[in-house]
Amino acid sequence: MEFQWFLQNFEDFVGVNLWTMLFAWLNLLILYILLKKLAFKPLMSMISSRQKEIDDMYSDAESQKAMAEKMKGEYEEKLSSANERSEEILKDAHRRALLREEEILRDAEAKAKRTLERAEEEIELEKKKAVNDVKDELSEMAIGIASAVIERDVSADEHRELIDEFIEKMGSGS
Amino acid sequence: MKAKKILVRLIILLSVLLIVGALCLLVMTVGGGVTPPEESGGDEALISVEGARVILGIPALQKISEKIPLLELGNVLTTTAISLFTVSLILIILAALISRKIEKRPGKVQVVVEKLVTMLHNLVRDTMGEHNLKFMPYIGTLFLSSILGTLIGMTQIFPSATKDLSVTLAWALVTTGMVWYNNIKNFGFGQWLKGFTEPIVVMTPMNIVSEIAQPISLAFRHFGNVAGGGVLTALIYAALAGLNQFIFGWLPDTLLSVLPTVFQIGIPAVLSIYFDLFSGFVQALVFSLLTMVYVGGACPPPEELPKKKAKKTEG
Repeated sequence: MEFQWFLQNFEDFVGVNLWTMLFAWLNLLILYILLKKLAFKPLMSMISSRQKEIDDMYSDAESQKAMAEKMKGEYEEKLSSANERSEEILKDAHRRALLREEEILRDAEAKAKRTLERAEEEIELEKKKAVNDVKDELSEMAIGIASAVIERDVSADEHRELIDEFIEKMGSGS
Repeated sequence: MKAKKILVRLIILLSVLLIVGALCLLVMTVGGGVTPPEESGGDEALISVEGARVILGIPALQKISEKIPLLELGNVLTTTAISLFTVSLILIILAALISRKIEKRPGKVQVVVEKLVTMLHNLVRDTMGEHNLKFMPYIGTLFLSSILGTLIGMTQIFPSATKDLSVTLAWALVTTGMVWYNNIKNFGFGQWLKGFTEPIVVMTPMNIVSEIAQPISLAFRHFGNVAGGGVLTALIYAALAGLNQFIFGWLPDTLLSVLPTVFQIGIPAVLSIYFDLFSGFVQALVFSLLTMVYVGGACPPPEELPKKKAKKTEG
């Protein structure tokens, strides 16, 4: 009797109930399907998609940073070359301006010289003309005076030599 | 999407109805439950360790199963089953609540849940390998069922589900089934049978025994830890009651019946932290880890399956 009681209690405690096992399997199956559908799958996909997004962001930022760095280098290079070029242009302009200045000055000088020369020539011409005029007038006057003195018509052609000599004398004498 | 929601609600409703109905039945039948044997004296009545109580049974089947030792067929619904349903219900409600608002910018709850899921993911990956991550939901389900099934005993309304060998044996048999299925799937039936004679032919009986012992040891480890914790708690309660009687025994009986058993306050709680919380967690972890190791052993990484690969390329 004692042993029977022990066996009964032992079976109560350690016995395997097939119905409970069935329920355990059912519960496990339902839980597995529902937890997978409701929690594990969406959570894992969310975690991985977020991870992917962050990774993408980082790689994007990295590539953009590299691009900006590259562009910065390019611009700096361009800027320095532009500076050089502008300096060159300035120098060139300066040089050309100097050349042009010289040219203009030279031109002006030459022009002035020419003008002066022409003016001198003209003056000389005028002078000669005036001298000739005076000579003519003087010769006429001399002829007039002489004819009045000798009361004889002096022919200009006949006495040209005489008159010239006279004027020459006067001129040198004056 | 809508069908899923309706299905979840239906399952929750059904489980609630089932649990409420079962509790009603339990209350109704609690008077005529297990009768203590007449031989046991008053001292033995102090210590009562019992298995799952029967709520619903089929008398005809109960008579048959009386002749089979350690196997019950007639007791359809026991308190253990109620615990299992309650655990499932709690988990399903939690999962439904979580799945309602999974966002890219997580809230506080989602951060914690995600941390836990990530921990599980890393555990499965480290134990079974990257190629076996498909088992992660099952491992998570098993772990949650196990730990909640143990902890639900602390409510004192439901007994621990894992205190019943039927439950742990069912889970262990699932593990063994998975191991066998994956072995046959990955290596072929002949190769699997040949694996029993592996080091030398003489070892074959040993290998068969160890194969059978695997689910039994898995089941009894978990069951024994939880049930043993319960037995120890009951013993300690009884011992503390005895100590109370020993020290305050000189007081008049009228006063003694009014006073609480002072020693039963506080001390069992400390032990409960070890036997219920810590042990429950450790056993759930051990069960899941062993399942992972066994199943992972049956599913080697794809590059270690030359035969299968060759077959695939041929066909």
